[in-house]
Amino acid sequence: MKFKDYYQALGVAREASADDIKHAYRRLARKYHPDLNKEADAEARFKEIGEAYEVLKDPEKRAAYDDVGKRWQPGAEQPPPDWDSGYEFRGGEDAFAAAGGFGGEHSDFFEALFGRHRAQTRSRAPPRAQDHHAKVVIDLVDAYRGASRSIRLQMPTLDAQGHVTLRERTLDVAIPAGVREGQHLRLAGQGGPGFDGAPAGDLYLEIAFRAHARFRVDGRDVYLDLPVAPWEAALGAGVDVPLPDGSVVQLSVPAGSAQGRKLRLKGKGIPGKTPGDLYVVLQIAMPPAPDEAQRRAWDALARLHAFNPRDHREAA
Amino acid sequence: MTTLSFLQCQVVEEEVQLSLAELCQASNAERELVLQLVEHGVIEPMGSAPQAWVFTGSSLQRTRVALRLLHDLELNLPGAALAVDLLDEIARLQRALQAARPSR
Repeated sequence: MKFKDYYQALGVAREASADDIKHAYRRLARKYHPDLNKEADAEARFKEIGEAYEVLKDPEKRAAYDDVGKRWQPGAEQPPPDWDSGYEFRGGEDAFAAAGGFGGEHSDFFEALFGRHRAQTRSRAPPRAQDHHAKVVIDLVDAYRGASRSIRLQMPTLDAQGHVTLRERTLDVAIPAGVREGQHLRLAGQGGPGFDGAPAGDLYLEIAFRAHARFRVDGRDVYLDLPVAPWEAALGAGVDVPLPDGSVVQLSVPAGSAQGRKLRLKGKGIPGKTPGDLYVVLQIAMPPAPDEAQRRAWDALARLHAFNPRDHREAA
Repeated sequence: MTTLSFLQCQVVEEEVQLSLAELCQASNAERELVLQLVEHGVIEPMGSAPQAWVFTGSSLQRTRVALRLLHDLELNLPGAALAVDLLDEIARLQRALQAARPSR
């Protein structure tokens, strides 16, 4: 077990006042809160900050922590003998804790020093079945066709001693076609167990899409960049367009299409009662460096056109 | 392929409506706190009296985010209400930005 430097976690000095600690915590909590910060490590960092604050804001806990810190050899993996005995705590619980935030799980270091007050407090809660929440990542094609997926979940469970352990379980879920990013699936009866014959809670899965190399998604609409040659854009062309569900449709590119022109394939977005649309965004791609004959052809084109693409800038 | 063993589910935002009791249960929140969220306009039920209230499925997500902000950041209710609105707006803008951005 490693010593946790709570002062470092909050970026404050050892002699920081209670006010300094509160300010540092509030600033960092806003910065790393997982609802506000979508970086992958935000949640871990937020929990670390929360644990540090829980100790340092409480004068009794802070004094015990400082005392342990003085006796702990710098860099040592092992704590000093009897380091965690002889401290007593009231084990208070704040009013909003039952409603739940992102905090609540503690490091081994914290639990060794301060015990598991929170877990014990929770186990005294009324025996109402809890609804559980988790996130699941699916592919865009699953939203088009629907899918049967096995989903592995880590469920925190309380053991008889009130210790939180992670239990893994696998659920086979029928993901309905038409589900969109950010929506939630409800699985009845798959949440926490019911007590005294009460029904089990429900499980809610938040849907996220795995990023796709070609398709982008906005709600029920899907976007695809489609490269076209300059002459295809100029003269019009029939081109094959791949859809997220694996099928291919023919699209006619109108003559005289400009770079970035959006062509709508109605109803080819994510399916549903109101299906989304698929937008094909034309990207005019230049051919590789021309050989002599091609260079002459471009030159002939240039002579034929009295076109200056920068004209409009003068006019503006 | 047998599909019988696969769990069926509902899309909360489209197929689910929640009563006040169900919303409290699904968000693990005290009834009093949910009443306050309604009062501050974080969530807006249909129906006149609390016993007749019906919440849309998307109220659940807003409730859960508001509760986390209240708890974790020590916000007050008007602050949390504002933050939930702004987070929704940021999510909408990010989706639009993502859709508008060429892939390379």
